[in-house]
Amino acid sequence: MKKFYILALMLLASVSALAQNGRSLYNKYSDLPDVEAVYISPAMFRLIGKIPDVELQDGSVNFGPIIKSLSGLYILNIPKSEAAAQLADEVNRFVTKGHYELLMEAKDNGEVMRMYTAGDDKIVNSFIMLSHDASETSFICLDGAMPREQLEALITDAAKD
Amino acid sequence: MKKFEEISRLGASDLERISLDEKIPVPEELSGRVQDALNGLEESKGTGSRPGSAGSRFTRRILPAVSIAAALAAIVAIGLNRNPEPEDTFDDPYQAYAQVEAVFAKISGTVAYGAGKIEDAETRIDKISYWK
Repeated sequence: MKKFYILALMLLASVSALAQNGRSLYNKYSDLPDVEAVYISPAMFRLIGKIPDVELQDGSVNFGPIIKSLSGLYILNIPKSEAAAQLADEVNRFVTKGHYELLMEAKDNGEVMRMYTAGDDKIVNSFIMLSHDASETSFICLDGAMPREQLEALITDAAKD
Repeated sequence: MKKFEEISRLGASDLERISLDEKIPVPEELSGRVQDALNGLEESKGTGSRPGSAGSRFTRRILPAVSIAAALAAIVAIGLNRNPEPEDTFDDPYQAYAQVEAVFAKISGTVAYGAGKIEDAETRIDKISYWK
């Protein structure tokens, strides 16, 4: 019976951990007033994947392989408010508790941008970008099984363009 | 040892006399078996099945497993219900793709900005090193 209680507690803990992800944050904040929210589902990503590769090419950057590896995109833009501050707090908390590592941080004139990734050396399972300034807080979360090399190449190539 | 049929034919006085006869050895495990039978009787009062019957054995063995499975299923269901899938923002894959492209442009812009800052800092460090 003790084993059962331990198992149940572990399950409850994992359920709580599950609650802390891009989707839960999206569900929590997307319906608030003045919040700009975008969600792209795995089914829609499969449809995008059917668009010919030529059309997924933008200059020297080919989005095709990465798009086919994505399973969810969550975007939240919240104007400066209590909810915006709460979102930033929650994201900071769950990236600290989860398996995320800081990829990059940039600060300029009160604007703070942070990027985090979760996964291993080869695959990125989740990418998060959080930026907040005096006027708004933006949260972007990409879920999937993105080859790390391709994702990094895509970001740096696009930056060169 | 007497058989069950012989014992069932004995009267109450005979049974009392035999039970008082200390020469007759009492099996060590008897008290445990009697206790088990009593426990079974208590359980059967709760479930309505006869002790030792197939239903009672099934209940004793399967009921804990069923309750554990139900509890685990409830925990998982609560977790899933708390986080339902949101509704897609776009119906058109081309519009969705345009949004994904915009997201990557924003991410790349941030990276380019960060890289620019690093380049500026490196240039300043080089200048300081040169004048030293």
